[in-house]
Amino acid sequence: MTITVEGYTYRYGETLAVDDVSVTVEDGEFLVLAGANGSGKTTLVRGFNGLLTPDRGTVSVNGRPVEDDPVAARSSVGMVFQDPRDGFVAATVGADVAFGPENLGLSRAAIDRRVADALDAVRMAGRGEERIDELSGGERERVAIAGALAMDPDHLVLDEPFTGLDWAARRSVLARLRGLREEGVGVVVVTHDLRDVAALADRIVVLADGVVAVDDPDPDPAALAERGVRPP
Amino acid sequence: MTTATDSVELVGEEATGNVARAVLFAAATSATAPVDMVHPLAPNVPITLQTLWVYLAGVVLGPLWAGVAFTLYLLAGLVGLPVFAGGNAGLGVVLGPTGGFLIGFPLAAMTVGAVAHGLDGLTAPDAIPVPRLVLALVAGTAVVYAAGAVGYALVQAIGLVAAVSAVVVPFLPVAGLKIAATVAIARSDAIVAR
Amino acid sequence: MNLRYVAGDTYVHRLDPRSKLFVQAAVAVAAFAHTTPAGLAALTAFVGGVCRLAATPVTASLRSYRAFLPFLVAGPLVEGATVGAPWFVVADAVTPALASYRVLLLLLVSTAYIRTTRVRESRVAIQWLLPGRIGVVLGAGVGFVLRFLPVLRDDLATVRAAMHARLGAERTLRERIRLIGVTGLRRVFRRADRFALALQARCFAWNPTLPVLSPTWRDGPALLVAVALLAWAAV
Repeated sequence: MTITVEGYTYRYGETLAVDDVSVTVEDGEFLVLAGANGSGKTTLVRGFNGLLTPDRGTVSVNGRPVEDDPVAARSSVGMVFQDPRDGFVAATVGADVAFGPENLGLSRAAIDRRVADALDAVRMAGRGEERIDELSGGERERVAIAGALAMDPDHLVLDEPFTGLDWAARRSVLARLRGLREEGVGVVVVTHDLRDVAALADRIVVLADGVVAVDDPDPDPAALAERGVRPP
Repeated sequence: MTTATDSVELVGEEATGNVARAVLFAAATSATAPVDMVHPLAPNVPITLQTLWVYLAGVVLGPLWAGVAFTLYLLAGLVGLPVFAGGNAGLGVVLGPTGGFLIGFPLAAMTVGAVAHGLDGLTAPDAIPVPRLVLALVAGTAVVYAAGAVGYALVQAIGLVAAVSAVVVPFLPVAGLKIAATVAIARSDAIVAR
Repeated sequence: MNLRYVAGDTYVHRLDPRSKLFVQAAVAVAAFAHTTPAGLAALTAFVGGVCRLAATPVTASLRSYRAFLPFLVAGPLVEGATVGAPWFVVADAVTPALASYRVLLLLLVSTAYIRTTRVRESRVAIQWLLPGRIGVVLGAGVGFVLRFLPVLRDDLATVRAAMHARLGAERTLRERIRLIGVTGLRRVFRRADRFALALQARCFAWNPTLPVLSPTWRDGPALLVAVALLAWAAV
C-alpha cells in the first residue's frame, strides 16, 4: 500500500505551484511534509487521492493510477483538511462519520461498526449524538479524523492539523496520531511547524517553491529554518 | 482492504461543486433573514435580504442550480429547519399568509437565471450586459411578488387588489434598492469567473 | 424554542415520517375544502387531538408564530372596512377571519410534525418521495443545509459587526445591502469550494446506503385517518 508520485507538476494559471516532484510514501510510514506557506505542499497532497489532477506526472496508490479507480484511491488515502469546519457534512458526530461508509454502499451493520470503531480510535466513543458545533477545536479535529478513518484508509493525510489548537488539544490529537501509527496506518502530516510532530516522524520531506528541498529522516535544523519551516 | 468500489457511482466534480454552492446559498439565505435595517421612507416595513440571495443565485448559479438552491431552502423549511424569516419553519408557514413568497423563491431564482444566462450554458456574471441583467432581476421580482400576492389572497380569502396593496406595494422601493445592489455586486470582484 | 425536534416516545414520534407527511397534507387539503365554521370546528378538535398525542403545547407553539399576527388580523380588517358609513361590514370580514383561523390550525399541525420528526428521518422520506438523482441532491442537500446553518449565521453576524465598526451605519441603504452581498458571497464561495472538496474526498455518491424506514402497525390508523380526511375534503 504505497503512494507513488512521479514528476508531479501543477500550475495555477501562470504560477507553478509544484514542479516535477517525485516522492514515495511507504506502507505504514509516518511522513511529515513540511514547507512555508505557498511552498506547494497542499497542492501536492491533494493529488494523493485524485482531488487534483496534475498537469504532468502520475500518482498511483498501491501500483494503480488514481484516475483509474478514484473510489479505491479515496478510500485508501483518507484526507483531513485544514479548518475542518467546512469539511463536516452533518450536524451530529455520528451522522458525519457515517457519511463516507454510506457512500461506499456498505451494509447498515458494517457502517455502524465502522462508525463505532472510528470514534473509538479518536477517543470519542459514545458521543455520536453530540452536535459538531458544540465541540471544542480539538474534539472537532478528532471527529474529522474519525470521518476519514471510517473509510478504512491505509494512509491518513492531515493538512495543518494543529492550526488554531491549544496545547491540550494538540496533545490529544498527537496521541491519536501516535496510536494510528502503532496500528500500522500510514500518516502524512502537512505542516510548517515541526515542533509537535518531529518526534513521531519516520522521515521529513521539505518543499520549497514547489520542489523537494530536503528528504531526510533527521534533517539539520538550520536547513529547515532556511526553508521557512519551524524546527523542532 | 477490499470494498466493491466499482459499484459506487461518484457524483462528478462539477455536480459536486454545484451541490455545494446550492447548499451554501440556501444556508446563507436563511442566515440573512433577520437584518436590522430600516428603510427611511417606510420605517414600519422590515427589510429582509432573502430576495437578494434569490437574485444572486440566479445571476451566479444559472437557472438550474439556482432553482435547486431555493427548492432546497423550501424543503429544508418544510421539514423543520428554522430557515424562513424569523426562524420559522413548517408546512403551516408555507400555507400561511407569506407562503406565496416562499414558493415564489425557486421560481424567481430560475427566472432570473434563465433571463440572465439563457437556457444553454452560463455567462460570466460580469459579462452579462447591464440591461439584460436588470431585465432578469425585474422579471424575478415580478415572479416573487406575483406569487406572494396570489398566495396572500388565496390564504386569507381576500381580493387580489387588497393583497397587492398589503404585501407588494410597501416592499417595492426596497426591491429596487436590492436590484441596484445586485447589479453592483455582479460587477464586483466577489464574483470571480468560474 | 418550540420549533425544533424534541426527543420523545409519543405515538406520533414513533410514526413513519411518510405517514406524518401524508396526514399533514390531508389536514391541509381538508382545511382548504371546509373553511366553514362547522368544518373548522371539527378540524380544531382533530388538531387538538394531534397536539395532545404529539406532546405539543398549543399556546406556547402559537406564541412562537406571533410575527404572523399582523397579516392574520389585516385580512379581515381590510375586507370588512368600507370607505364611508357603516365603516365596517361584519359579514364581509367573516370569510377572511375563517381563513386566518385556518392558518393557525395548519401552523399547529406542522409544529407537531417538526417536534416529533428528526431531520434525518425527513431526509430519508424526501429521498423516498423523489427517487433518482434529484432525490439524492435534495435529500442529502437538506442534511447539508442543517450542517451549514450555524456556520453561515456566524459568518453573517461577523459581516454585520464589521460593517458597523467601519461606520457602515452611516452609509446609504443600497451601499449596505451591496456590502452584505459582496462579503457574504465571498464567504459562500470559499466555504462551498472547501465543502465540495470534502465531499469528493469522502466519495460523495449517487447511490449511498440510506437509513431504512420501517413502517409498523402504528402507521395503519394514521393512514386511515389521512384517507378519511381526503375523502371528507372531496365531499
